[in-house]
Amino acid sequence: MSIIDANVQPHFRYNAEIRRYLSAPHKLRSIPDVEQQWYQAPGGDYRQDLYGDHYPGSDPDTVARHLFDEGGVDLAILNPLTRGNIADYLLNSRLCAAINDWLLDRWLEPDTTGRFLGTIRVNPEDVKGAVAEIERLADHPKMVQVGVPLQSREPYGKPMFEPIWEAAAAHGLPVAVHINGGNGVDHAPTFAGHAFTYPGYAAFMPLNSFVHLATLIIEGMFGRHQNLKFVFADGGYDILTPLMWRLDTFWMSMRDQTPWVDRYPSEYLPDHVRFCSSAFDGPTDDSHAERWLNYTDKADLLMYGSSYPHWSTSSPDTVVAGLNDVQREKVLWRNASDLYGVASHVEGSRS
Amino acid sequence: MTTVEARERGAVDQDIAVTIVDTDVHPLPVSAEVLKSYAPAEWKNRLWPTGNAVSPVPHFYDTPDSYKTNSLRVDASPPGGGVAGSDPDFAAKQLLVDAGVSIALLEPMCDAQLPGAEHVLKATHNDWLADVWLGENNWHGRWRGAISVTAQDPEQAAREIERWASHPYMAEVLITPQTRGIPFGSPHFDPLYKAAARHGLPVATHLMGQTPFELIPIYPVGNPAHWHDFFASWPLLYVSHLMSLVFDGAFDRHPELRVVFVEGGFTWAMPVMWRMDRIWEQRKADLPHVRRRPSEYIREHVRFTTQPLEDVNVAEYREYLEMMDLGDVLMFSTDYPHWSYDSPDWAIKRFPAEQRERIMRGNATALYGLPTTVKALPGEQPA
Amino acid sequence: MQAGKFGVGVYNIDGSLYAIANYCSHEGAPLCAGYVRGTTEFAPEMPDQIRHVREGQIARCPWHQWEFDITTGANLADPRKRVRTYEVDVSDGQVYLTA
Repeated sequence: MSIIDANVQPHFRYNAEIRRYLSAPHKLRSIPDVEQQWYQAPGGDYRQDLYGDHYPGSDPDTVARHLFDEGGVDLAILNPLTRGNIADYLLNSRLCAAINDWLLDRWLEPDTTGRFLGTIRVNPEDVKGAVAEIERLADHPKMVQVGVPLQSREPYGKPMFEPIWEAAAAHGLPVAVHINGGNGVDHAPTFAGHAFTYPGYAAFMPLNSFVHLATLIIEGMFGRHQNLKFVFADGGYDILTPLMWRLDTFWMSMRDQTPWVDRYPSEYLPDHVRFCSSAFDGPTDDSHAERWLNYTDKADLLMYGSSYPHWSTSSPDTVVAGLNDVQREKVLWRNASDLYGVASHVEGSRS
Repeated sequence: MTTVEARERGAVDQDIAVTIVDTDVHPLPVSAEVLKSYAPAEWKNRLWPTGNAVSPVPHFYDTPDSYKTNSLRVDASPPGGGVAGSDPDFAAKQLLVDAGVSIALLEPMCDAQLPGAEHVLKATHNDWLADVWLGENNWHGRWRGAISVTAQDPEQAAREIERWASHPYMAEVLITPQTRGIPFGSPHFDPLYKAAARHGLPVATHLMGQTPFELIPIYPVGNPAHWHDFFASWPLLYVSHLMSLVFDGAFDRHPELRVVFVEGGFTWAMPVMWRMDRIWEQRKADLPHVRRRPSEYIREHVRFTTQPLEDVNVAEYREYLEMMDLGDVLMFSTDYPHWSYDSPDWAIKRFPAEQRERIMRGNATALYGLPTTVKALPGEQPA
Repeated sequence: MQAGKFGVGVYNIDGSLYAIANYCSHEGAPLCAGYVRGTTEFAPEMPDQIRHVREGQIARCPWHQWEFDITTGANLADPRKRVRTYEVDVSDGQVYLTA
């Protein structure tokens, strides 16, 4: 069976490498280092075995060997991290552009097998700049999605972001939301403030995606843009059934305040929402996995994503443990293939 | 306040079996003046908004037609006057007799911006609750009260807990979950937890909505604009607190502590327990003080109330609850007299049959040390 | 008014009489104890994108404020969650309801 890995983070070889892709005004600006996370995992964010000759995830040949040759993956969607929600939104946009240029230069252009696909990173805080960056790179055949941070001071359903989503949808590009590198001018990561432990942060953080999702529905963003699709690339989909049930239940009471929501909120999911798998989602008892995935039709929403080279990298086998054949096929490749329109890539790579 | 004729009360001295315990009911003072009469003299004019700021129920997020409804059931206004939930006898009629609730936990909602004022406001509510609801009007023994304390000053809260701990009808401690950036697992709360646990009083938490100084937390990715998506996301506040309680070692520091999450939903508890177990397994070195699986702590130390139940396909819902296997951890609630009230008759059918007795009665009875019979009210069938 | 197990509410809307069961299809609340209102529809040309319509034709459940079209019994959000309606005839000062 084909396998598409919808969530891989490639990295720079060394911190200063990004400056090669910055123009003169920005070359001497301060930029956070690659692993400068407010909640860095003790011992490092990346798999211990990958620290060696190269920085984890920084050498295309090594990554290709790990994913394709040893891992059985046919296609990988590369979604690089940027360096945080830096206060200077114009600088932040230049960093996104630099990272996009680096991705093309180091990963996508040299790859003759066509197994690496990429993400156009943009800064949602700079709406004009984000739209311009999408327009600059949307036609590149290997750029298959737009990428934004999970971190934001306003949820993505709010109207200020609409031109960005509109541009992405116009080009048929899903928007992938992923916990960003570094932090910056952010709110605390949990609803009750800062976490005192790394696990307290790591277990909670992906669940914030639900607020983006709920606002995208209730503000009418999905209703206005039929072609708009969001991918929540850090998982957190385990919370989907309980909170969508809640959102559906109270639609009956709240419809008159937001009458543009003209159907049960969960009815927007199949056409507009996808998730990448994570090491933290799913039943701890595999015997529940098959039934669990059918709640809220998650089998149609979930795509395998390794999170390579993160310490929590998960293999395809662990992600589909306990699933039936139809679910396995959907999660391992079909949902991603349909979303990104990459059937020909998959077929090509299998022959 | 309507009065029940003395002869009516005395006429029924029958016991009935406790079948339904309601773990979330909201009494309201019939007027600000009545409440003020319980405040210390020097605070009477300092605790309440003055001038034009008189609305007791501002809504930063609006429930339907809240200017008219004040987020209350439209049919719960006492015939004798006063706002819904302000008349113990009418509440007894609607909730205990008509809806069939045997025992109800009364949880007032209030908050204030500054710690000193909040302590006095909560203490005032405790005095009011004890007098109006837990004294003569509790001749039937079917109301239980929560000791409201300020989360901002846990030492002061501990003293207030001591003041009420031996009251026969105060059954739990109540704090806001809107704790200004301090999660529940923080040692900040230790004096409060210690006092509660020493007296076997669970610590319940309930969103302090519909209060003049509700402090809505800033959501990590920003706040929704409408009550609808706000309320659907709101359980993530409880998730945050729950993770902190376990990962930050509160249950290790306080082995007798019990925490009740009220009106925050519970269907999220299963996937959250999985997440916590997984990350604990993978990052044990980061949590040296967490000696047991997180889900074990939760099953032992935490309870969830059921209202508002999600209105989804019943067969699918029951199957989900069976998979959840949290029948020992859920406690039925109505949220009377609020608008999102769940009726016991409707609710019970949504639970798997073999969990119903525990959810409707058994778990709360065990947690709060409740009796197995109570006095019947006029209109009820004795046991 | 007393009729059936839970009672029935009779409403006069612009001179026509309609009757719905006093029993909300959600949790059985006394529907007719709730407010009678209008409702809203999506109006993208308005600054707040909302237009108020059908004043006096919508019964809102006194509990969860579900909206029911008094003239048809249908729930406005999900028409499948309807309440029972009755035909109303008035004759010699008597009101007759037909299920």
